[in-house]
Amino acid sequence: MSVEQVREHSGQPLLDLQNVSKHFGGLAAVQDVNLQIWPGEIISIIGPNGAGKTTVFNLITGIYRASVGDISLDGASLVGLTPDRVLRRGIARTFQNIRLFNNMTVMENVLVGQHSQLSASILGSLFRPPRVHNEEANARVRAIELLGFFGNELIERQEEYVINLSYAQKRRVEIARALGSKPKLLLLDEPTAGMNEVETLEAVKYVRRLRDELDLTILLIEHKLAVTMGISDRIAVLDYGRKIAEGLPEDIRRNEQVIAAYLGKPTVAEQQTAD
Amino acid sequence: MAVPMHTSNRLFLPARDTRMLLIKWVVALIVPLAVFNFVWQGDALINNVILGFINPASAPVTDGQLVEAVIFIAIFYLTLLALAGYLVAADSGRRGVLEVWIDILIFTVVPILLIVATSNNLILGLALCGIVWPIYFILRRRIPFLSFLNPKSVPPPEGLRLIDSEQRAIMIGRARAGGFWFGTSFAVIWLFVDLIFFLSGQLPTELLVVTAIRTVLLPLGGYFLGQLGGMLAVRRTLAANGNGNGNHASEESSLRSRRQKERQILATSRASEETRAVVPNDLPLRSTGARNFFLILLVAFVVFYPVIDPFLFGSGTAGRLSGYNDAGYYVILALGLNIVVGFAGLLDLGYVAFFAIGAYAWGIVGSTQLGFISPIHIPFNALSGLFWPMLLVTALIAAGWGVLLGAPTLRLRGDYLAIVTLGFGEIVPVVFLNLDTLTNGTNGIVGVHSPAFFGVFWSQITPIPYYYLILALIGLTIFANIRLRDSRLGRAWIAMREDEIAAASSGVNLVRTKLFAFGTGAFFSGLAGAYYSAKLGGVSPETFGFGDSVIYLAMVVIGGIGSIPGVIVGALTVYSINLFILNSLDTLASDPTNFLHSFDQFIVNIVPGFTFGNIRNLVFGIILIVIMIFRPAGLIPSARRRRELTRAPEGEAALELGSLDVTTTDPGFEAEVRIE
Repeated sequence: MSVEQVREHSGQPLLDLQNVSKHFGGLAAVQDVNLQIWPGEIISIIGPNGAGKTTVFNLITGIYRASVGDISLDGASLVGLTPDRVLRRGIARTFQNIRLFNNMTVMENVLVGQHSQLSASILGSLFRPPRVHNEEANARVRAIELLGFFGNELIERQEEYVINLSYAQKRRVEIARALGSKPKLLLLDEPTAGMNEVETLEAVKYVRRLRDELDLTILLIEHKLAVTMGISDRIAVLDYGRKIAEGLPEDIRRNEQVIAAYLGKPTVAEQQTAD
Repeated sequence: MAVPMHTSNRLFLPARDTRMLLIKWVVALIVPLAVFNFVWQGDALINNVILGFINPASAPVTDGQLVEAVIFIAIFYLTLLALAGYLVAADSGRRGVLEVWIDILIFTVVPILLIVATSNNLILGLALCGIVWPIYFILRRRIPFLSFLNPKSVPPPEGLRLIDSEQRAIMIGRARAGGFWFGTSFAVIWLFVDLIFFLSGQLPTELLVVTAIRTVLLPLGGYFLGQLGGMLAVRRTLAANGNGNGNHASEESSLRSRRQKERQILATSRASEETRAVVPNDLPLRSTGARNFFLILLVAFVVFYPVIDPFLFGSGTAGRLSGYNDAGYYVILALGLNIVVGFAGLLDLGYVAFFAIGAYAWGIVGSTQLGFISPIHIPFNALSGLFWPMLLVTALIAAGWGVLLGAPTLRLRGDYLAIVTLGFGEIVPVVFLNLDTLTNGTNGIVGVHSPAFFGVFWSQITPIPYYYLILALIGLTIFANIRLRDSRLGRAWIAMREDEIAAASSGVNLVRTKLFAFGTGAFFSGLAGAYYSAKLGGVSPETFGFGDSVIYLAMVVIGGIGSIPGVIVGALTVYSINLFILNSLDTLASDPTNFLHSFDQFIVNIVPGFTFGNIRNLVFGIILIVIMIFRPAGLIPSARRRRELTRAPEGEAALELGSLDVTTTDPGFEAEVRIE
């Protein structure tokens, strides 16, 4: 079923995971995962808790190194790169538990996000020649633009320490920070966690806008099935570290193995051949 | 807001509310100034300087120093006149008259009186203030009668409205009146005092001319300088059409309109911290605008200190200056360590190693030692001039070692990093001790040359050039710290300190950032080391030990981790306690007329062998404990630290207290993972 959809994509995938596995000692957190993402898609990874979804994110962004397999962006391998180098290749992410820099203001957080786009060296920082001065000014302007993606609310609070913000606002600041590096691919780890229905709807809207207005490709981890079904072009399902299904939302919804994984029926997880 | 709509700007008969304002601030400023002038010989300073001009033979100082003293006096009084104008314009009307007067009394008059009471001992007087002020804080919090003195918690500034041009004119008019009346009142008081002295025969006739000139100049200067102060205050108001806060408009009009919009939004937002920068505000004494005036006064005092010291404190200038010179390099060390520990969050317990490297680097090159160990022989007269380039080279050498010694620690966190740095802190001095051929071992290096400046050779017995050198170095260090903190690198350091993984995921290269932190921190300790060995004239390995590393860390922690003014105060405090105050107490106690003497005798009966100097470590330890319990953020905390230690975020686990610890709110695996 999903084979036809896959064949529709032409050219090289933006992100390509080939037989990726990660072992921690005897535990295989991720096993033999294959996934391709093409530019402009919104792909969701779903699965029960502990299925290895965040581990996949960590593997992509270089926090973990894949034991087996290859991960490549636009054909260039990412395996073995440190997270800051992965970012410079064009992949930015947010975290499940919101990892903002708590003792910095909103503006400073978003400025750190632009770290890779700025080029002031230590001497430049000390003497602040006009080039550095302008760079800083432009960075601030860009930071306000990024915050402005979410309306005026965060711009008004740009000098507040992020610790004072509400949960939903913190999530948005984290996304603004991630956007600072002009990524091609944005990894969102449970962007609607902890949100009520109203906030969730808003989040869904801005995820779509991120893809539409900013030309991003988005890979989501999401628990709320309603969100995933509504927003994704394709869905990949993980269970116990393996990908057990991949395809269009309506197909995934009806997939027996997926239902079994979520409801816990004792079914053997089978690899879904999606190639 | 306190600016009423219908105040006229009459100068000589001010309207009623302006009058209240004038009384409030003129009295508030006159009292400390009067105490300074008439109780602490501020006027003696001026009189002696003038007499020095009139009668050069009788003056204890040279002509050049007289001119410097005049410059200081001018800066001092002119700044105060402008400050008067600023405070009147910046007043928000929320703080009552009595509160302001008591505040000024406690924070300005009390120190002056204490300095006078301790026989003109600046350090001891300030140290006693360090006891009086906390008592005042405790009292005003605990005693209900005094509770009105506590700073009110500021509600969000709904009242912070935008000011139009008419109100601005009123503000400037008030400032003019403030400066004028302050100048006038002070001139009158001074005239009065001078007349009394003259009539009782203590005032030379020549000085009457000066008195007359002064009585005219002060009101006049007050008028114009008050206006200047008012204009500075107005620049920091939120204006509907201007761009407020003195921001310079950039070329792009879109940028300007965006900034303008931000400022307008700020006026109605909840960012109450920013009210300290905007006028009118609730805390004019602590506003960032007034702070500039205080900084000018402080800098003028520090820069001109060697010249005014003989007038203010009597004899013994050289000794005092020597003491300050020693305190100076502690300040640089604290600022350097602040980069490593405060900004980047890397716990360094071996900072003395880089200090030793710096000291030995100049020690070897600047003495005959270099001739012993290498074929390079530098003629003696060239050595002194070589100090200046070597200052930079030494610092760079230390920075290089900072990078080298930091490299093995890159994957370590918290405690483990501390242990490794502790190890290096032990290794380096021992290496210097045992490398006899290179460093002359336990004997150390003697005969290190002092620097020279434009042909004038310094030596250990002239402290004044060293004073200005250390001032310049401190100024440089402060400048570098501020620039770095507000730069891309500084943000990377702080981000790395807060959350390494999030920082790496935002593009911060952890390896480079950490190495830069170590290197930069070591750079400044190299500077201090070169200065130290040049001033001391020698280097010996016993002076560098683990205890010193701990003291440097204590300076940073007591002062306020990450806060630049904080660590400066911390360094001076620790230095004073450790090396100054208790010895001074001993000197005072040996004087039989002093009440301390009987106190001392009493204790000696119980504990023979007691001197104040002996209990130095005990006192130091007690002070450390007390400060960490009651004010863990440090004496002058950085804004971030204060926030970190006094509030828990809503709905999430509270942050761990030490920035020196890895936060335990890191989820699951990610905290344990090394980044390769």
